[in-house]
Formats: sequence, structure tokens, C-alpha cells
Amino acid sequence: MLRFDAERAVRFCDGLRRRDFLHAGALSMLGLSLPDFLALKARGAVNSEKEMNCIFLMLVGGPSQLDTWDMKPNAPAEIRGPYKPIKTNAPGVEISEIFPRTAQHADKFAIVRSLYHTAAAVHDTGHQMMQTGRLFQAGVEHPHIGCVLSKLRGPRGDAPPHVLLPRPIGNTGGNMPHGQSAGFLGKQFDPFVLNADPSMPNFKVPDMLPPDYLSSVRVDRRRKLREMVDASVKEFDISADARLLDDNFHQAYTLMSSAKMREAFDLTKESEAVKDRYGRNRFGLSCLLARRLVERGVRFVTINMFETVFNEITWDIHGSAPFSPLACYRDQVGPMFDHGYASLLEDLHQRGLLQNTLVVATGEFGRTPKINPAGGRDHWPQCWSMLFAGGGVKGGQIVGASDEIGAYPKDRPTTPGEVTATIMRSLGISLETELPGLQGRPIPAVEHGVNPISELF
Amino acid sequence: MPETFRAPGNTSQKVATMQTVQTSLKLSIIGFSLAMSAFFAASKLAPAHAATANTAKRASAPVTITVDTTKPVSEITVPAGGWSFRNHVIPVLTRLGCNSGACHGAAAGKGGFKLTLRGYDPEADFAVLTRQALGRRVNPVEPARSLVLLKPTMAIGHGGGKRMEPGSLEYKVLSEWIAGGATPPSEGDARVMRLDVSPKATTLAAGAEQSLKVLAHYTDGHAEDVTRWVKYSVADASIAAVGEDGNVKMIGHGETAVSIWYQSQVSFARVANPFPHKINPEVFASSPRHNFVDALVLKKLQTLQLAPSAQASDREFIRRAFLDATGTLPTPREIERFLADGAPGKRAKLIDELLARAEFADYWANRWSDVFLVSSYKLGETAMWSFYNWIRDSVAANKPWNQLAREIITANGNTLENGAANYYVMHKEVTDLTENVSMAFLGMSITCARCHNHPLEKWTQKQYYQMANLFARVGMKNGTRAGDVQVYTNPAGEVNHPRLNKPLPPAPLDGTPLTLDAAQDRRAHLADWLTSPDNPYFARALVNRVWKNFMGRGLVEAVDDMRATNPPSNEELLTALTNDFTARNFDVKHLIRTIMNSAAYQRSSKPNEFNQPDEKFYARYLLKRLPAEVLLDAITQVTGVDTEFPGYPAGTRAVQLPDARVNSYFLSIFGRPPRVTTCECERSAEPSVPQALHVINGDTINQKLRAPNSVVDALVKLGASDETVIQHVYTAALSRPASPAELRQLQTMLQETSASNAVNARRQAIEDLIWAVLTSKEFMFNH
Repeated sequence: MLRFDAERAVRFCDGLRRRDFLHAGALSMLGLSLPDFLALKARGAVNSEKEMNCIFLMLVGGPSQLDTWDMKPNAPAEIRGPYKPIKTNAPGVEISEIFPRTAQHADKFAIVRSLYHTAAAVHDTGHQMMQTGRLFQAGVEHPHIGCVLSKLRGPRGDAPPHVLLPRPIGNTGGNMPHGQSAGFLGKQFDPFVLNADPSMPNFKVPDMLPPDYLSSVRVDRRRKLREMVDASVKEFDISADARLLDDNFHQAYTLMSSAKMREAFDLTKESEAVKDRYGRNRFGLSCLLARRLVERGVRFVTINMFETVFNEITWDIHGSAPFSPLACYRDQVGPMFDHGYASLLEDLHQRGLLQNTLVVATGEFGRTPKINPAGGRDHWPQCWSMLFAGGGVKGGQIVGASDEIGAYPKDRPTTPGEVTATIMRSLGISLETELPGLQGRPIPAVEHGVNPISELF
Repeated sequence: MPETFRAPGNTSQKVATMQTVQTSLKLSIIGFSLAMSAFFAASKLAPAHAATANTAKRASAPVTITVDTTKPVSEITVPAGGWSFRNHVIPVLTRLGCNSGACHGAAAGKGGFKLTLRGYDPEADFAVLTRQALGRRVNPVEPARSLVLLKPTMAIGHGGGKRMEPGSLEYKVLSEWIAGGATPPSEGDARVMRLDVSPKATTLAAGAEQSLKVLAHYTDGHAEDVTRWVKYSVADASIAAVGEDGNVKMIGHGETAVSIWYQSQVSFARVANPFPHKINPEVFASSPRHNFVDALVLKKLQTLQLAPSAQASDREFIRRAFLDATGTLPTPREIERFLADGAPGKRAKLIDELLARAEFADYWANRWSDVFLVSSYKLGETAMWSFYNWIRDSVAANKPWNQLAREIITANGNTLENGAANYYVMHKEVTDLTENVSMAFLGMSITCARCHNHPLEKWTQKQYYQMANLFARVGMKNGTRAGDVQVYTNPAGEVNHPRLNKPLPPAPLDGTPLTLDAAQDRRAHLADWLTSPDNPYFARALVNRVWKNFMGRGLVEAVDDMRATNPPSNEELLTALTNDFTARNFDVKHLIRTIMNSAAYQRSSKPNEFNQPDEKFYARYLLKRLPAEVLLDAITQVTGVDTEFPGYPAGTRAVQLPDARVNSYFLSIFGRPPRVTTCECERSAEPSVPQALHVINGDTINQKLRAPNSVVDALVKLGASDETVIQHVYTAALSRPASPAELRQLQTMLQETSASNAVNARRQAIEDLIWAVLTSKEFMFNH
């Protein structure tokens, strides 16, 4: 039997070793015959090193441009805020003092300082637009760019093409979709969601392996029995949810039978020092996990830095409860980002992965230039900054500029659609790509006439 | 930041003053001579106002205006009193996009020029246009030099680009309004009262187009054709598309609404394209009709040429009815009894029995607890129980929905004794109350109107704060016991409108306002309006929620998005159900009975050749995955092993939990709502990979199958035959016996595995069979 992996053997109570289950079952469980597998490999769907990846850091809450990557030290105190700019290892590039480690990698990333969007100033619209390139209208839910990649390229071997860490964005007040699903492409292209906190002790992917008391033989038998039972309800396939259920079972079995994926999600393989470097928190260890996943064939990883903006310390610094104060940028949120992001760039660079992995970091909007009476800053989609690293992007540069107080783009106004186009360019997806929409109507992956931020490349 | 004069090139010189106007404008009634005279009047005055060398220089250049006649223009005539700021200038600015959120309507304006979002405050906009920027925006002395004309025509630089042509109707309205003295808006202005769209409903083949025409009717009795200035949007982009000129193009099959918004008034038109089958009228005529629901469903199906599926079998019906009404599976004995009953009215009888069960109260208490956000998130344990018990008692007593609403809205007293009063403990802010009452009882989100007039609806910011002021006098103080709060009504207190900085007469949305000094209880006034049989929103929202529970899709979808611009898929049906519900004194059980007894509810879920594309007109019963709690309880029921919930007595079913925060991985990944905001969208029934992994490898099903007291145990100990095992499991889980073919196949499988050498081979074989049934689509879906 062909083996995908050969690492360790675990004793099963029925005498079989887990390795046997994982090996023997692997191909048949995938539903792949050997010729299928070879055909896939020939087509380049398996193990093609050259293909590009993306790690998308969604900085939920909306970081203030003025306190992070677009400092205005000469503006009045109520504008410039409490933090000071520091020099970086890239000449002429200064960022906030809350990111000392990131500053040492400025040669690897580019800052775009002229993002804006024109939808309502609520979190949800920004999440939609930054992850799909568009605002949802007329009942059309556009797909997350990672899901577009899943649809176009499929999985590399047994790695899910798009993984979302650690959990989906929950309620951020607007009751609107967050653009974190495959939308009209169909849920079979939704990301695989981890649904667990990698900073928790004994972290593991929930239910990724059968419990000790279930032998491989039984898992396989159950699978066959299930298909037998469902043979009588073929007509259920008219329901997208019913089709999805079967598809999910298929994906689950694929994941279970992959030693490579099991290893990818296994943070115990990393030293304590590495974990310290990334930061022992949800975001830091999600960054570490993202690196491990990309190393093992996952094409796209989305990390939600936070799940909500309520009753949690986040970038959403309105200044008063249940939101966060501005000081949290120095004390919690800033260091959390600094450690996770800098370590991710360090490691990807050191492993030679940065050149084929685009790392995008953005919030859903910026924040009001003027500090509010509660000592915070409110929502401001008129102007913000974001970071691009790797994936062919030239680091150490600044693209676009805001005005003297960071209120509006002064130079090269940049829209969410252009960000999506930029990610597509880096991933090698043609801007002309059309996706199958509702009732088969083709929908362009980006609006016609929207171009990548060419200065980045 | 001041506006800057940039790029004063040729174009600007051309438009800056006028000597000649060449036009081929083909408007039927456009008051052309009036326009001419206005422009000439302006140019005659020009030298007197040549304050700067810059403008004086430009004043000498000749001007040619070319009018864009390529677009169809509706007839808009200059009214007798001249163009009105409120009724013409603002719509023009809205149509051109000037006051959109992307441009000057942004909270901070754009380029130093800030208008109210889509013109919700004409007085403020007037002041900004005429008084700011040194009066250069609107120049009544020299209209053609007004920035509002120069910038959007790109006569001088404009960050927003070219928005109109000189000579267009929009240009004409603005310039003539300015030339006429820039009359301010006044309280006496006529207001738009209602919009008439024609055609109201139309049938179009794919690819066909239809222009809509919209008439605005004003309070002074006159009407204007505003087709050109209306904002259009289509509900389902896969069926039709609409241009900004109101031209509808049909794309797919089905029916959708095109909604229109103008000056905070809304309406819609329906466009349909029947499915491409020719179905014999006899199919509809002979389809069963059990009550008024069926005539209306069939009427819609016939219009769209969708053939209804056959009626479900008794077995299908009993499983479906149990799950939808009570969240439980029928036991094999209950199924047997039902099948044995030969009486013609046995389905109706079963429905009555289900509605009388304790499980019915559990299930619906759970549904309403979602709506009212019962959880220990904002309430302490005792208070949470007090609210939950109040809701469950209300369901058990079949408390009329209007009475339930009134008791919540007017709740006073000790929260541990009057559970309903906890509503006020959970929603302490008046804005929160305003929005939650709208959401929970009206299925309407009015949050947008907190900051500005609702962009899709008729609700204005004034109405929002009038509604908020109804809650101005809710008082609360801590009671004597832990978790106990006293809710009472203060004799005084007001909520200010934030922009006007004064309280407005309290009024429930579009209901009658109270005077500020009225002695009447404000919450009672709200309850009167809310629960009145004449309230067009209240009963409808509830009917729609209940309909969705049974039919899989709301007549209005989403059920929390009730608004005039999101019309139901079957208006006649929703109206008929609502009227019947109101006439029966808001009797929820009566409504449920009506729905469940309909032939539409009792249709098979199997599609036929002619209804496969249908997802919203009820040609067949729509499959739905069991809700998280119901699915877990069903697994418990079949395996015979209780689920333990920390802090709750053994045997508590998931659907009986009062608290959304009870720790359960199964419930959270299967989509139990967190009950943070009232929204059906909080609950998810979508399958996912983590769910599949959990049922394959997780504890929930696996541990129940292994448990010493499980059904597996019983079957092994009884020494049940393969056939008995299979038929018991099938009946208990799927409410049907295995077919002979299934039986043969599964028997072979059971024999082989039971005969293997493994320890407990028999037991494992049965476990595996039950696992397969519990994870099958047939089990996980209601069908």
C-alpha cells in the first residue's frame, strides 16, 4: 500500500497500530485510486513547491493608523496621541514605538498608508470588504479571497487549502456577514475552522483523531455503513446543506488520515523558546501555527486576531467599556501583534518561505484622528494603514500617504478592492478570473478596472 | 479645509458665464424659457459681482453648453412656487451622490463640505450650502458661479469627478433654484406622503427589460414623476438587475422585488419570470387544499409554474411534526399507534396532541428565549431562571402574543417575582431598548436611524428618538435579595434627540405621539400601539417567525429583516395568516395548528421534475438540519443515554436549558445561538468540518454508544436478532423500518462483524450500525 507518511506507531487496544490505520486507510479514505493520485500529481495539484501562499492577519477591531504605522508626531497632542515614532531598519520608514521588534523587519514589509472605504463605519462592512474586496449588496455574498483560491486551486495533497485560525469573527455589532466564508461559491469552499485556542494547555485540533477505543477497521466500517444508510435518500442532494454534510465528512476523513496535517497542527513539536518568541497568546501561537501549516502545504491561512470587540481588549479603542482604552496598544494589543508578526516574518524569511508567502495585515478601518472625550478613538473608514510582506512585495517602502492629521488619503487613495487584486496578483490569480455566481451567472473575482497596488511589487 | 479652485482650464471658462446656450434638449415639459431667463439674469448681474480679478477675467469668455440627451429623462416640471429645496434640490443632491456616505454625506464630510446623509436634515444642509465657505457654494447673485454648479460639472476641480452635465435637468434644478433666490426649506413645505410605482407587478421573459415609473404623492395633493431621482435596488440579483434609471432587466427564473427609496419613503415593484415548464392546470386544481394557506400557496406556484410535490406519508409526517413542534422524535410506540389509527382526521388529532405536550412548551420556550436573549450573560442565575420560567409558563398557558408583549413592555416590580421585568435589567440603555423592542417584536432593525435616517427604510432619526423617549422613565433599584431588582416607572425623565438636543414627543415609530407633559404611562402607550390589531408590523413579524420554524424559510427572509423594501415571497399569504392570527386574538397555537394542518406543510420533501429549482415558494417541504439542541436530544433519545450538563439535574434535555452559556462543545459547534443580540442569524444549522470530526471522533456519540446503560447494551443483553436490531434502530431514529434491500445489506454486514474474533464483536457491530444511522443525512435532517 502506498504510504503518505511514516512517523510513529501508536498501540491500539485491538492490536492494530494507529500507523496502520493512517497508512492503509489513507488512499481509500480519500476515495483516490493510485492512478487518480498520480494524475493529480502530474497536474501539479500535489506538492508543487513553487505555488504561492498567503497568510492574512485580520486585525479585528480596527487599529488606529495614528498610533501604529502612520505616526503624526508634529500634529497637535489630541491628534498625535500618546505614542512616539521610532526608526526602523528601513531608511525613512518610522513606525510606532509599540512595535520595537517589527521595526527590525521593516525591510521585509511595505506600509500602505492610504486605505479607505466608503461603506458604513461599522466593523462588519470592513471585514466584508477587506476579505472579499466588495461590500455585499442585493443578497450576493462574495467569497473570502482564500476561498477563491480554494475553488481555483483545490488542496495541495491532503492539506486543506484554506484554514481559519483560531475561530470565526463573531458578533461585532452590525449583524452583517463578515466575509469569512465562500459565499456564493458554496460552502464546500469554506475555510477549515480550527475552533480551538492554540494558547490553551494541551491544545489540539478538536477530534482530529479517533479515540483509542476506536480501531481503524471500525472507523472504516462505520464510514461504509453510513453510506449504505444514506443510499436511500439520494434526492436529498437537492439541498446544498445536505451535499455539504457529505462533503464535510469527506474532508474530515482526509484530515484524519493525514500524518502531515496531524503534525502541522502539533505545537508540541515547537520548542518553548519559539513559543515565547511568538508570544504565548491566541494570536502569537496562531501565527506560529500558520507558519507550520504553510510549511506543510496549506495555501491560505486567515488569522482573526480577535473574535469580537465587546468585553475584550482589542484594537477597538473607543476608550470606554465595553471597548478598549488607548493604553492597551502599549500594554497588550501592541506587544501581542509585535511578537507574533515579527516572529512570523523572521521564520518565513529564515526558511526561504517569505518569497512565496504573502503576509497581509490589516484592520477593517482606521480611527478618528482626534482623540474623543473618553480618551479613545472611534471608527474611521476614511483612512488607515496596512502591511504587506513577502509574496513578491518589495519591503522597506511606504506606498500612499495620508494628510497632516491622518484623516484622509493625500496620495494614492487605495480601496479594499485593490487590496484583493493585490493578493490575487501575488498568488498568481488572473484579474480576469470569473467565478460561477448564482444561477450560473459569472461574477468577476474583482470588479473590472480594479488593479493591484503595483507599487508594491 | 476650504475648497480649492484647481485646474481652471478651458472647461471652467466655458461654464463660468453664459452668452449663448445651444441645446437639443428634448424634454416635453422643461420650462426651457425659464431656464434661459434665469441664466441671462445671472449673466447680466455678473459684472457687479466681479469681486476678484480671477472671476472677472473668466466672465468674458463665451460659453457653449452641450446637453446630454442620450438618457431618457422623466417629466419633471417646475412647480408654481419654483424649485423647492426640500423636494427638488435635496433629491438632486441625493441622486448625484453628493450626500452619499462615500462623499459629502460621510460623518466628517469631504473636502470641508459636509451634507447630511442622503439629505435627512434639509435645514442643516441649507445652512451649509448657503452660509459656509464664504457663500461661494451658492451664489444667488451669479448662480452660474456657485460652487455647487461648478464642481460637479468639473468646470473646476472636483475630487468626486463629474457628477452632472451643464444643461442636465439636475443642473437646471440647482441653477434655477439659486437664481430664484435660493429659497430655504420651511415647515410648510409639502412632504412626500407615498410613492406609486408602475407597473407594480410584471412578468418578464429572461433578457426582457421594463422601465419602472415612480410617482411621488405630496401632502398638498400634487404628484410628481420622480423616476429619475429614486434609488432602486433588487432583492435577488440572480433573478433581475435594475439600473439607476429604473430600468429592470430579467436575468433568471423566479420572482424578486425591486425596492425603491425616495425622500425616506419606500415602495417596491415585483418582477417575475415563470419557470420554463408548462404545467397542466389540473395539477394545481387537484392538489389538496386543507385550509386557506393552500389556496394561496398554490396560486403562487401556478403563477410561477412550479408543480407541488405529493403529500408526505404518515411516517414522514409524524417524524416531521414531532421535530418541528416539540423538538423530539416520536417513539416506535407512538409511530405504531399513529399508523394504526384509521380515522380520517388523525393528522389533525396528532397536531392537537403535540401542542398539548410539555415538550411543546420546552421547545417554544427555547425559541422565545433566543428572541429575548435569556442567558446568564447579563442576568444572574436566579434572575435568569425567573425570566425563563416566565417565558415557559407563558408558552404552556398559550398566553396570547399581544399579552406576552404587553407584559414585557409594561413590566414593573420585583424581577424575581415578575420574570418579564428582567427585560429591563438586560437592556439598560434606552437605545438598546428601542432597538431590541423593534427587533424582538417587529423583526425590524432600526439601528441605522440612531445616527441618521435609515437608508433603506422610512424610519427617521426623529422617529428613533421619539421611540427612545418612551423608555425615558424606566427606573431600577436593587432589591433585597441577590439578583433581585425593582423595576418601576419614574414620574419624570426625558431622552434628548442628540442633534436637536431636546426631547421629542414620545411616539412608537409611526404611531401617535404623546405630548411631553402627558401624564399617561409611556410604556403603556407603546404597548397599546404595539399590540393593537391595526399594528401592521407586530403580528406579521411573529407569524413570519413561526412560519419559518415549520416551513424552513420565512415568507420574509431573513425573519429579522422585516421592512417595506424586503417584501414577502407571498404577500397575500402572509397577510391572510396575519389577519387570521389577529382575529383569533394572537393565539400562537392556533397559528401553529393552521400551518401544520395545511397541505403545504404536509408535502413530501422529495422534489418532482417541475419544482427542483424552488427554494422559496413551498412547492415541497424544505430539508432542514436539526437545530443543535434538538439534534443532541435526538441522539440522547435513540441511544438512551442522557447528556450531562454541569449544574443541571440528570435527564435535562438540551432544549430545556434556560442558559445559552451552558458549556457544551457539541451545542456550540452545531450552531446554538450565543444570545447576545436578537437575530435569527445567531443560530446556524450549517454543516461544517468540525461537526463531522466531532461526530466521527468526538465524545458525544461515541461515549453514548459505549455507555453501559445504552440501547446497545440492551440489544446485546436481549440477544436481539440482526433483524430486530436493525428495525429497532431504524424506527427509533428514522421513524421507518429498513427496506428489504437495506435489511439484507445491513444484515450481511452485522453478521460478518459479529463473527469476527475481536472482543465484544457483537456489541461493536451494533455500535457501528447505530453510529452510521445517527450520522446519516436522513437522521440529521428534518425532511
